[in-house]
Amino acid sequence: MRAKLLFLTALLLVAALTAPSAFGGNGGFAPVTPQSPNAEGIRDSYLFVSIFVLGIFVLVEGLLIAFVVRYRRRRRARFEDGAPIHGASKLELMWTAFPVVVLFLIGAFVFVELPGIKNVPSAGASGQLEIRVTGRQYYWQYEYPNGVIAIDTMRAPAGVPVRLEVTAPDDDVIHSWWIPALGGKIDAIPGTVNETWFEAAEPGVYTGQCAELCGLEHANMLASVEVMSKDEFEAWLTQRREEQTAGTSELGEETWEGVCAKCHGLSGEGGIGPALAGSIVLADPEAVEDLVRNGRRTMPAVGSGWTSEQVEALTNYLKENPPGGG
Amino acid sequence: MAVRAETRTPAWQRGKVASWLVTTDHKRIGILYISSALVFFLLSGLMALVFRLQLSQANADVLSPERYNELITIHGTAMVFLVAVPFLTGFANYLVPLMIGARDVAFPRLNALSYWLFFLGGAVLMLSFFASGGAAQNGWTAYPPLSVQQPGNGQDLWILSLHILTAASLAGAINFLVTIHNLRTRGMTWTRIPLFVWSIELFSWLLIAVLPVLAAGLTLLLLDRGISIGPWDIQTHFFDAAEGGAPVLYQHAFWFFGHPEVYIIVLPAFGIISEVLPVFARKPVFGYKAIAASTVAIGFFSMLVWAHHLFTVGLPISLQAFFMIASMVIAVPTGMKIFNWLATLWRGNLHFDTPMLYALGFLSIFVVGGLSGIYLAAFPIDWQVHDTYFVVAHFHYTLFGGVMFAIFAGLFYWWPKMFGRLLDERLGKWQFWLLFVGFNLAFFPQHLLGLEGMPRRIYTYADESWEGYNLASTVGSYVMGIAILVFVWNVWRTTRSGPRVGNDPWQADTLEWYTTSPPPPHNFDDVPYVTSARPLYDLRRRLREASGFRGSL
Repeated sequence: MRAKLLFLTALLLVAALTAPSAFGGNGGFAPVTPQSPNAEGIRDSYLFVSIFVLGIFVLVEGLLIAFVVRYRRRRRARFEDGAPIHGASKLELMWTAFPVVVLFLIGAFVFVELPGIKNVPSAGASGQLEIRVTGRQYYWQYEYPNGVIAIDTMRAPAGVPVRLEVTAPDDDVIHSWWIPALGGKIDAIPGTVNETWFEAAEPGVYTGQCAELCGLEHANMLASVEVMSKDEFEAWLTQRREEQTAGTSELGEETWEGVCAKCHGLSGEGGIGPALAGSIVLADPEAVEDLVRNGRRTMPAVGSGWTSEQVEALTNYLKENPPGGG
Repeated sequence: MAVRAETRTPAWQRGKVASWLVTTDHKRIGILYISSALVFFLLSGLMALVFRLQLSQANADVLSPERYNELITIHGTAMVFLVAVPFLTGFANYLVPLMIGARDVAFPRLNALSYWLFFLGGAVLMLSFFASGGAAQNGWTAYPPLSVQQPGNGQDLWILSLHILTAASLAGAINFLVTIHNLRTRGMTWTRIPLFVWSIELFSWLLIAVLPVLAAGLTLLLLDRGISIGPWDIQTHFFDAAEGGAPVLYQHAFWFFGHPEVYIIVLPAFGIISEVLPVFARKPVFGYKAIAASTVAIGFFSMLVWAHHLFTVGLPISLQAFFMIASMVIAVPTGMKIFNWLATLWRGNLHFDTPMLYALGFLSIFVVGGLSGIYLAAFPIDWQVHDTYFVVAHFHYTLFGGVMFAIFAGLFYWWPKMFGRLLDERLGKWQFWLLFVGFNLAFFPQHLLGLEGMPRRIYTYADESWEGYNLASTVGSYVMGIAILVFVWNVWRTTRSGPRVGNDPWQADTLEWYTTSPPPPHNFDDVPYVTSARPLYDLRRRLREASGFRGSL
């Protein structure tokens, strides 16, 4: 009776758990499909560990259920003694040694995979790209070697190793850079520069978000990487450089959407920050610059350290596109 | 002596309420700990039900980010410091002197001080919701610079509360150690003390080893936030990168305490399981010495694994490798325990009263928490799952499915000793199955969410493909809520009408069952000479032999 109940519950549980997984990729039973060799190395390690994890799970739960069924009281007297067994040293040594072997195998596999996960591939024929990633409340800022700046959406070439220098400004908090399909996460820490990398094989858009609690809008600190062919990327980078100098780039819009709108709303309707729509401050470039560079009350200094190019991109955008139609 | 002390009690201290306020009796203090922990458990559980509602669907609007961050912070802090630790401290208070045949703990008044400090710390934490700026919003780990930057007093009160709780736990730990080392009855050698007492021995040593480090880290955090003493304003920059400080330093201090803390919680839970399983399998525990030794080993290694919480801060690979290996080493003694418990069931005469159900539930769930820990110990895999719902699932499998299930096993098992009445078995079984199903429904899908890329501590999400698992998780959490209500109803009902049972309703093996239920203030009129780890089993056997009676007693 009890065994049946146990079995039934287990069955129900499995049904309840597998129902939602019917829709959507691998259903979360393994890390998201990797798009970069480092993410692949992690996924392979995960699968290798899973072999042992599943084996041990089945062994322990199987024994547990078998013992519960086999040694239940049945018609025996309630307080009748079971077998007077106090232990068995040989057996105990065995199940001490067994995990050691399993863990040794897992450790060895991880160390074999490690170089492929950790080391940035050396620049081959297709070169190598370096991008500085700065985590800030509550946006990601990317700086390319030629001075191009982008917010939240990173553009990167396919088939080229991209080395990321990840950090946070001294007066900010800790964030964590993470695009699951492109590898593991690495923290963006004030005063420290960490390194990670990816090499996306295919063009596509890969998303992720900040993985270290960084304040009220942590949940909206999203990031995406738009991978394009190498030629397309180079064309974009050159064009963006020219537009940024001319003041016609999308940087202003990206800044409004990535930096300001997360707290003040896309059309300035307000959120955890006050409503900005119709505010005269927005039309005053000096006031805006003072605000973003120094912050005010609970608003962090989101633009401390920005180049004047970036500040102007924002103020020009606000002049031409006053939020809420101003 | 106890009798004399009682006659000297002034009249005002003998009232129904007053006697509890001034008590120095370890049993009453134990019950105070357990009942306070139960109240904090209900409060923090309620917080979880509120934020699970917020997470049940994408872009929900139940909680503002401020309230959400407050609730997760206080839920986590309270579940560790005001629920798990005091539940187990309560059991330790009640049981250790009884199990070793002592009249009380070594320092009864210090013991009362510990409890009231704990009560004060708990009150400070819960009342911090009313502080200017609300309660702390930075997670139970309170990493700077974020926690330094939060305006208002919530974070300061959080630090104050933890300082008070630290003092309470330190005093308690010293008390337990002196008690265990000095007050064991005749014949109660180190290889005969119950395994629960072994776990409290290590629990206490670990507290003494790591709490001062936490206190130091918290003090630095407080100074970084700035304090005013009279005319002096003090503001340090230990964790402030702009002034040359190191934000990650705090993480080392916190986790040097924080990881042993999970073993501080889990070892006594293991201890409870090692007491319950043999009684309901009608067998001696399999491999007493191995289990005791593994307790010591886990205690030692638990202090060498803290940086596996820091795998993503950019530590050198050699350090990450060290902490991976150390973390994996801890799996060996833990595995020993699991197999020894399984072997305890082997060829037993199992009966499934509620304490046993909880102990078996513990085994089946804790294994999952242990296995998911292997992924987290392997640092490249941790780079992927760190700070995601995979971790949330992992520590709920160990701390709720593990520790809380063990606590319920303990409550159902020792309730008749504490109050002389049995908790209702039928309600107990209903509660168990609801909790077991609800728990797995709530937390298993969180593994999958983490692997799909959902970080922890986000108050909202836009990705609708995460909705299914989140909804399942929320439904599970409410099933757990119902299970807890069944328990509250059970307690309420049986304090009035529960069946009265004798001294030893389970025919158990350890000394606490030798005295009456509930025991008198002085615990024992006499204590039998202890000849093994199962003194009452020996006693029953001797009685049987003396009377020539061949059946079971």
